[in-house]
Amino acid sequence: MSTLARAEGPRRSIAELASKNAIVLVLLGLVLVIGAARPSFLNPENLVNILRISSVRAIIALGVGGILIMRGTDLSAGRTVGFAAVVAASLAQRDDYASKLFKDLPMLPLLVPVLAALGVGLLVGLLNGSVVAFLKVPPFIATLGMMVIVYGAVSLYVDRPPMGAQPLGGLREDFTNIGTGDTLTIPNLILIAALVTLVTYVILNRTRLGKNVYAIGGNPEAAVVSGVSVWRNTLLVYAFGGLLYGLAGALLAARTGGATNNYGQMYELDAIAACVIGGVSTSGGIGTVGGMITGVLIFEVLNNGLVVLGVSAYWQQIVKGIIIVAAVAIDIQKYVRKR
Amino acid sequence: MKRTVSILVALVLVLSVGVGMVAQTAPKIGVCIYKFDDTFMSYVRNTIETAAKGKAILSVQDSMYDQPRQNDQVDQFLVEGMKSLAINMVDPSAVSVLIGKAAKKKVPLVLFNREPAAADMAKYAMAYYVGAKAQESGTMEGEIVADYWKKNPSADLNKDGVLQYVMLIGDPSNTDAKYRTEFSIKAVTAAGIKVQKLAEDTAMWDRPKAQEKMAAWLTAYAGKIEVVFANNDDMALGAIEALKAAGYFKDGKYMPVVGVDATPPALDALEQGYLLGTVLNDAKRQGLATFELAYSLALGKPASTTVAPLANADGKPDPKGKYVWVPYVKVTKDNYKAFK
Repeated sequence: MSTLARAEGPRRSIAELASKNAIVLVLLGLVLVIGAARPSFLNPENLVNILRISSVRAIIALGVGGILIMRGTDLSAGRTVGFAAVVAASLAQRDDYASKLFKDLPMLPLLVPVLAALGVGLLVGLLNGSVVAFLKVPPFIATLGMMVIVYGAVSLYVDRPPMGAQPLGGLREDFTNIGTGDTLTIPNLILIAALVTLVTYVILNRTRLGKNVYAIGGNPEAAVVSGVSVWRNTLLVYAFGGLLYGLAGALLAARTGGATNNYGQMYELDAIAACVIGGVSTSGGIGTVGGMITGVLIFEVLNNGLVVLGVSAYWQQIVKGIIIVAAVAIDIQKYVRKR
Repeated sequence: MKRTVSILVALVLVLSVGVGMVAQTAPKIGVCIYKFDDTFMSYVRNTIETAAKGKAILSVQDSMYDQPRQNDQVDQFLVEGMKSLAINMVDPSAVSVLIGKAAKKKVPLVLFNREPAAADMAKYAMAYYVGAKAQESGTMEGEIVADYWKKNPSADLNKDGVLQYVMLIGDPSNTDAKYRTEFSIKAVTAAGIKVQKLAEDTAMWDRPKAQEKMAAWLTAYAGKIEVVFANNDDMALGAIEALKAAGYFKDGKYMPVVGVDATPPALDALEQGYLLGTVLNDAKRQGLATFELAYSLALGKPASTTVAPLANADGKPDPKGKYVWVPYVKVTKDNYKAFK
């Protein structure tokens, strides 16, 4: 990439700057076009709302992003988010709620449902990492299996007599406040997502783990030769991803005030698409935290904007698909030209 | 391994002795549920099991959303000599095979919840169906809104005499979703109220998706939306969360939201004044009607149930009818306590 920075003239450098930041330009362009068509889209309230929705999605994307950079993938991300959401919700139901999942559960400290969700995510992540690292199962297959297992597990967890599988509701206000409240006029969700972004940035750019992830993703054989422990880093990256899914699940339950065993279905595909839009290479070794966040924002701006514009549900799907392919096609030009 | 097997064998023996004690008088009834992890069907299943206690011996099977598996289960029931069958089909269009099997052995067949074609039902005199008229759920949703609209003139925010609404649709390819969308609005217009659709979109029955769509609508149609219709409660609750975030439900700012299903979280939202109303697909009475029919038939008596009169396929009462239509129930602030 450093070769690109060597610009030969001012005109050339503007073109290259545009090419390097194509994704950010796509995002700005989308915002402007939708805003021009429907000025209410640009209301601060709506923009904050997009950020709020993006927060949960961004946390999932950051979890998958690291795994993608290391040439892995994680199809179980969405279901794990759902499992964590259900576990968190089940431990945060109001005392006077008539249909509590655990009838005799006392009021727990607020931290317990959140930690339980993190624990669920971490456990799934460690299992994924172990299967990939020790059993050498290709990540696509390992996490495909995990996706199915986790859905079974969450259904088992929630399907209890006498009610059977039911949506969980009646969540405590202090818990939902995590997802709906503000701190110093900034929505909590956005603060948490910003913090997670920062932590992920530091891990990927300033720690040995981060360097190893890029090294393994870029060229696994070379990484091994230079003494990088593949199994250890694999385990750590999947565990970190799982932890983030767990957090995202708790936040999703808090934001929506409930959970069902269908929560999080297909979120992994949105997250992977957002990463790819943001310039993360699915063949490993390439990707930035800034790109992942931009990718998520493009996705959510589209999701919100198409509804605000009144585009029919079917056309929304078609437009989103086109944008995914187009964004990557534009982005990839910089590598194509390099060759 | 050997030990597990022997424990299992012992368990089976103990269970069969236990079952055998009731066996002298009680008829055996085979029950299939299309899949066990469906919330609504677990309520139905629980009621069937409770109603059968001390009266009949049930064998309840999970068809795991797999019609060939269900066919095998029915074969097994017939081999075991069940006196009647209560089947919740995976794929109702495949019913003719099941009806053929039951007719061959002259075993009465009660189908429930997933409705087969009337032409297939006509092929066997002892084939019955217990279910609800899906259109009715939409109609009742609309009636709740029409009632509210007439009692609260202030609901007409822009005073144009027209009800401006948004509609959250489940899965557009799903019949229930279509009926609820169509018949809820039909009921409102039938009550003499003019309507204008501001927007409709699919949120796939999903609470987070509905919340996101509603938030976008609140931006696009700020101050214009007068009623929110949702095809189910999960989506209604998602819309309510978006409304809360936009400052509704406090300082006198209110938005009528209606759903369908009467799930526990929806009843909670009713109690707290967020949800205007919901419609209950009465799982308990559907289960009870199914069991009562299957039980009376298993004893060799004429089909009978206390839940609703026998009727024909169109819903008209008919003592020789082969259908039992379990009515939906409107649930609002006035009566929600009875369903908790």
